[in-house]
Amino acid sequence: MTPPPAMSVAAMMRPPTQAPESPANRDLLAVMGRPSLYYWLLLIFLVVFVHAVGAVWLFQVYKGLGIAGYKHPVFWGVYIVTFVFWVGIAHAGTLISAILYLFRSKWRNAINRSAEAMTVFAVLTAAQFLGIHVGRIWKSYFILPYPNQRGLWVNFKSPLVWDTFAISTYATISILFLFVGLIPDIAIARDRSTGWRRLLYTALSFGWVGTAKQWKAFNRAVLHLSGLATPLVLSVHSVVSWDFAMSIVPTWHSTIFAPYFVAGAIFSGFAMVLTVMIPVRRIFALEAYITEYHLENMARFILLTSLIVGYSYGMEFFMAWYSGSEFERSAWWYRAFGDYWISAWVMISCNAIFPNILWFKWARTNVTILFIVSVLVNIGMWFERYVIIVIGLSHEFNPDVWNHYLPSLPELTILAGSFAFFAMFFVIFIKLFPVVAIAEVKELVIHEKAHHGGGAVAHGEMH
Amino acid sequence: MPTLVGVFSQAAPVAALARRLRDRGFGDLEVYSPVPAHELDAALDEKPSRVRLWTLIGGLTGMVTGFVMTIWMSYDFPITVGGKALASIPPYVVISFELTILFGGVLTVLGFFWVGGLPYGRFGKPDATYSPRFSAEDFGLVVRCEDRDVAEVDGLFRAHDAKEVTLVEA
Amino acid sequence: MPELDRREFLKLVGVGAGAAAAAGCSERVEHLIPYVVQPEVMTPGIAIYYASTCRECPAACGLHVRTREGRPVKLEGNPEHPVSKGSLCARGQVSIGRTYHPDRYTTPMSRGADGKLAPVSWEEAIRTLADKLRQGAAGAALLGGDPGPTASQVLDRWVAAVGASGRVVYEPFAQESLREAVKTLFGVESEPVFDLSQADLVLSFGSDFMETGPSPNEHMRQLAEARDVRAKEHGGARFVYLGPRLSMTASNADEWIPSKPGTEGILALAVLRAAMDSGLTADRTALGGLLDGVDAARAAARTGVDAKTIQRLGAAVARAKSLVALPPTAGLSSRRASATAAAVLLLDHAAGAVARTVLLPAETERTKRPSYHELLALVDAMKSGKVSVLLVHDANPVHSMPPGTGFREALAKVPFLVSFAPIKDETSEQAHLVLPDLTPLESWGDASPRPGVRSLLQPTIRPLYGTRAMVDVLLEAGRSLGDEVAAKLPPGNMRSILETAWAGEDFRKALARGGSFAASLPTHEHVALSSAVAKLEVSEPLLEGEGDYVLLAHPSPLLGDGRSAALPWMQEVPDPVTKVTWNSWVELSHATARRLGVEIGDVLALKTAAGTLEVQAFPRGGIRDDVVAVAVGQGHTVGWYASHEMEGRPGEARGVNVIAALPAAVDEAGGRAWFTTKVQLAKTGRSEPFAVSQTQDNQRDRSIGAALPLAALAAGAAAPAEAVPAAPEHGARGGEESAYQEEIHVPFDPVLDAAQNSPYRWGMTIDVDRCTGCSACVAACYIENNSPIVGEDQVRWGRLMAWLRIERWVGDGVVEDIPGWPRERNHEELGKVDIRHTPMMCQQCGAAPCEPVCPVFATYHNPEGLNGMVYNRCIGTRYCSNNCPYKVRRFNWYDFSLENWPKPLHLMLNPDVTVRAQGVMEKCTYCTQRIEIARQPAKDQKRLIRDGEVITACAQACPTQAITFGNLKDPESNVSKKRQEPVRGYVALQGLNTRPATLYLAKVVRGPVEG
Repeated sequence: MTPPPAMSVAAMMRPPTQAPESPANRDLLAVMGRPSLYYWLLLIFLVVFVHAVGAVWLFQVYKGLGIAGYKHPVFWGVYIVTFVFWVGIAHAGTLISAILYLFRSKWRNAINRSAEAMTVFAVLTAAQFLGIHVGRIWKSYFILPYPNQRGLWVNFKSPLVWDTFAISTYATISILFLFVGLIPDIAIARDRSTGWRRLLYTALSFGWVGTAKQWKAFNRAVLHLSGLATPLVLSVHSVVSWDFAMSIVPTWHSTIFAPYFVAGAIFSGFAMVLTVMIPVRRIFALEAYITEYHLENMARFILLTSLIVGYSYGMEFFMAWYSGSEFERSAWWYRAFGDYWISAWVMISCNAIFPNILWFKWARTNVTILFIVSVLVNIGMWFERYVIIVIGLSHEFNPDVWNHYLPSLPELTILAGSFAFFAMFFVIFIKLFPVVAIAEVKELVIHEKAHHGGGAVAHGEMH
Repeated sequence: MPTLVGVFSQAAPVAALARRLRDRGFGDLEVYSPVPAHELDAALDEKPSRVRLWTLIGGLTGMVTGFVMTIWMSYDFPITVGGKALASIPPYVVISFELTILFGGVLTVLGFFWVGGLPYGRFGKPDATYSPRFSAEDFGLVVRCEDRDVAEVDGLFRAHDAKEVTLVEA
Repeated sequence: MPELDRREFLKLVGVGAGAAAAAGCSERVEHLIPYVVQPEVMTPGIAIYYASTCRECPAACGLHVRTREGRPVKLEGNPEHPVSKGSLCARGQVSIGRTYHPDRYTTPMSRGADGKLAPVSWEEAIRTLADKLRQGAAGAALLGGDPGPTASQVLDRWVAAVGASGRVVYEPFAQESLREAVKTLFGVESEPVFDLSQADLVLSFGSDFMETGPSPNEHMRQLAEARDVRAKEHGGARFVYLGPRLSMTASNADEWIPSKPGTEGILALAVLRAAMDSGLTADRTALGGLLDGVDAARAAARTGVDAKTIQRLGAAVARAKSLVALPPTAGLSSRRASATAAAVLLLDHAAGAVARTVLLPAETERTKRPSYHELLALVDAMKSGKVSVLLVHDANPVHSMPPGTGFREALAKVPFLVSFAPIKDETSEQAHLVLPDLTPLESWGDASPRPGVRSLLQPTIRPLYGTRAMVDVLLEAGRSLGDEVAAKLPPGNMRSILETAWAGEDFRKALARGGSFAASLPTHEHVALSSAVAKLEVSEPLLEGEGDYVLLAHPSPLLGDGRSAALPWMQEVPDPVTKVTWNSWVELSHATARRLGVEIGDVLALKTAAGTLEVQAFPRGGIRDDVVAVAVGQGHTVGWYASHEMEGRPGEARGVNVIAALPAAVDEAGGRAWFTTKVQLAKTGRSEPFAVSQTQDNQRDRSIGAALPLAALAAGAAAPAEAVPAAPEHGARGGEESAYQEEIHVPFDPVLDAAQNSPYRWGMTIDVDRCTGCSACVAACYIENNSPIVGEDQVRWGRLMAWLRIERWVGDGVVEDIPGWPRERNHEELGKVDIRHTPMMCQQCGAAPCEPVCPVFATYHNPEGLNGMVYNRCIGTRYCSNNCPYKVRRFNWYDFSLENWPKPLHLMLNPDVTVRAQGVMEKCTYCTQRIEIARQPAKDQKRLIRDGEVITACAQACPTQAITFGNLKDPESNVSKKRQEPVRGYVALQGLNTRPATLYLAKVVRGPVEG
């Protein structure tokens, strides 16, 4: 028998109905909605402030580093401190995205996007300080191994060259990581936007429609990127720590620096994620997606790394005493009780003492406490770098030149500027791209539906 | 050539249906999915993704580049520092490692684009079978078939509780 | 072809500073203009040396002036000159800056109706002067320093010719008391010359002969010879310092006896008595009753030195084969100065030193000598309006005369003041007519520091401006008064007069040598004690005013009487004792500071009968509780550098002028007395941090400046010499292990740190036992290497740019539990002296920590073992400095090269050395430019650079030859031989195994003299 003609089949079909919108899309895209007046005020303030600080920096370039507080023999100061600080911040993102991805811990989905974005912006901020620090920025390209008619190459034995490679690699990889992860969400946004946004998202989504083939390549790529980023994130701060450990300066020349710095980086990174996400979560009403459960997990991480960092502090003092080396001993006495004792104790209390409150669940689940702790940790971690770098240099082998460095106004201005710089990028990002990975959140939702036969998902049990 | 688009709210039936259709000889299938769903990957083709190859090549290239560059440059511009050997491998491991990651990462992304067939479709207008609902929470299965098979495919769709089936004239 | 590339590289950036200089220009384009007519004997790029004489102080050391393209760029000692024998002190080194000083008068100036100095032509200026002389030559008087014998005679003739009232020679630190003492003792006119080189016991009775006095450089050299541990047995001469304050001189003594200031005479007699008691054979009869009633116990009560010590000293004197006892220098010259000096010279005489080590030259040429009472007479004449025209040259009485003399008021009464100052100062700024003299480097002249030494000055540069020699101007003015005056004046100008004065000698040869020097010093054959001795009244100093403390106004080794304060380097080179720069300070004991409740930097008010000073306190252990000390020389209110004009506060005094608090006091001989007043201290509550170059004098047992006891030296001398320097034992702490000895250190041979095929491995030895801390090397380094001066504020920030600094360590130091606590930074102890002056510059390490950390190879190891620094490759990461354990690297925080050479100071830049740009690191290069200069002729003659052809600026300047530089690959080189020290050789911070090319030779602790 002959089959009925296709048209007849078509005729008997119902016309396509309007698709039901996904709540996840609705809520999370809402974040990117029309900016409020406060948003514009904040953005304008940030942009203006960043440019003002840029002017200060230009003045320093013109006048010379003398306007910074450098005091012989303290030749590294706030700029390197801040550089290391931001590199540290940059670690949480990749850690959450990559390592937790490999561990398949689902709770990361709510925060990984913002963490990755923070990574990228923190690396960008950190990179600025390499340029701000050097004496002749107009010659700083010398540090790259580019072919030149003088036949000069660079010194690959120098930790600073390692740094250059590590930081630029890290910047590239984390940008790629962020972007690849964004593609499906950009596609979602594309389907629901108009005007310039639509054009932008169309371009950036590369025509993503979520076919099985695309998803397969996507999963594989994300898996590999995670695999690559995991050793990378551990290496970057190790390399940064070797800037110090490779030297002979007492209190720098130490083998525990790499793990100690990495732990510290994760510590500060998570703290920064909390500091940023807690307000964002409140302002954009994302409590349903970034739940106390997520915050508590972050808190657990902070507690763990705080213990590691605290242990390192203790161990450093022990080794100084145990080594019996007068240089080490005097340097450590000086650190704890010398001219800079305040910074040292700020560091110890903020990083090794206060976070212990997170032993208690009531504290871990109290957003206010979490926020305060995270801010304290950020302060403490900045001081940690200050203590290591500045105090170490103030009190080296030759007592003849021992000196007491204090940051100058331009240095502090530029330090403040770095936060504005970072915030500026983040504020812009929030309105341009989904601040929570929609596709991944939805994945959970849909899988829940599949298993529990639908119904609103209790995000609390997302694991 | 008629093209049927079935809309589903779950991934599992899509996967099952896809297998069924392939067994029936309908090779020209496409699946739209709002989220990554592993059952679907398998349903369309079992072969592991080619992206891994790109990563491997990238990583190895990076590693080799790292060592070759550092060692060659050390001898091309021989400067003694701190009484150390001209080319001392341990510090160069760091460079080589970073380049391994860098090249590996970049090629992985390129691989993702190549294997995933991006950029996909004509920019701005994905083909007629796609609709925003597939970036909401619905799954879609697209089948291209002869006129005579339309009814059968339609039937199969409904058999696998498709929310609705649309015939798109391609 | 890596080989070729290396050459290429070396050419480009290299150690060759010439190349570096050329490359350095890439920052700012500079035009090289060739000579149109090439002057013969001058080859661009090749230096020409002229022999001349230093006029910075009366010692008159011989100079070799290094000129490039007709410009003096560096002053070095003249090895043929009997006084300095090739060395040159800090003040001499920087005196080159006078010629290029921004404060110079470029034309004659005349005070107009508006009361301001305005430029006038020479013709007009001289006419004005002549008119004034016509109106009343009788009221004209000449006042100034010693211009040298020839000029001096011309001036005398001029005074006679024009019928001026007279001429006074003024030298603030002139020690007329000494001459007076000689007259009292021996009845002869003579100024004693002390020869320390033969001594085996040197007793300094408050004599800071290394800082001021007759001839600091010479005496440092002689003492070093007398104490050479290699040549002499048992560590050579012993040096005991008796004085209230641990001065720079005292810091080099074996024993410091903090005696009561002003009682040196009493002490000398007591020692003499003790010496006789312990067997010194001298005839008591000549002394009459002088020594009756003198005994140790009574002296002890009066001098604050316990009897045992006095007896011990006496015994030492009795035993000494060759004693030199030096009477107090200016700082401690009291109202009883000549009696004190006489007592000390008496000790010399009794010990048979006179005519052996204390020479009394027979003076032939009669040139006018400094006379303070003549000056006071002149002041009286001025007060009574008898002086209508006062002509001042080579002197700044407004600054250096105590207010009690009423000089300023008297000057106000002088209707017409003429100044010949080449550089503006307090006096010239009050002048009605300024006739700027030439600077010593521009002028003809001579100097005679002592009989038998006639030292010549010759121009080494065409006068920079239209200024003229004072003598020529005076002659011209005189001649314009009429023929009969002209007839009485010598014909010609200074040059021709000088030539005629040298008639009978080969003038050109003398010019080439730097003068004519008698083989030996003509001395009085036999001197016998005169009967006047018996009547010698040796008593305590008579001190004016009220107060629990006495004020010691001591000459500063860097500023002299204040004339060197105009030279920025003397402001920036740290004081050898306190390491303070650009300022004054008052030294007081820790006890005093605690009593007053002041800390370092707190401003104290010093109140004397004459005036009040407000000056920052510098508490230290090295001063008696009853004494406070302020250095002379600061407190100028005029001058770009001397006052605060440089900081935009013209007219504001930099530091304080202690003379303003001194009464107008004279000694028995009418000479000027400096140690004359008591002082009251009061806290002002204000505080201002010092700009010090050294923040700690406690080396915490890190053996940067190491010492070892004489015993250890003797023991080690027996042992065979090793190429590998052993870590020295510690002086004070005996055999105890020091910080770095606990750490492993690999024996090394620095020769290995140069390329195999390179014939050179440059190296250095620094003998801490010879270093006196005089800082000549520091000054030399500044001038040679174009190091910028950065000013007080930047020094406070630790941004001193000196490549070479002298670290002053007090003993081995103590390891405090908590560094920096207690806040007392000064660890000296009263009566203890173990100061280690340790020159610290780049050690040119073989395994340099700075090198591997530089990302761009801006610092690297060159084939000759030098630690190269490539300015134009440096991007300024400053990692190298962090990793340098010696902390000898400096960074250009600003574009110092632009800011710190106000025209015409930039003309004195050494063309062989790059002027460093903003944002680059710099450090000592072992004067690599000098190596390159020596390399060329060696290449031409197809030979290696010979030992001694390269002498670094620091080594050249050093009066005691503490620094030796040379090629370590040449076993015969001086430096290689010096490295063979069996025991003393050590490497700073050896435990770090940086394999430095600089080897230090530990100070020898000879200990107090045995009784």
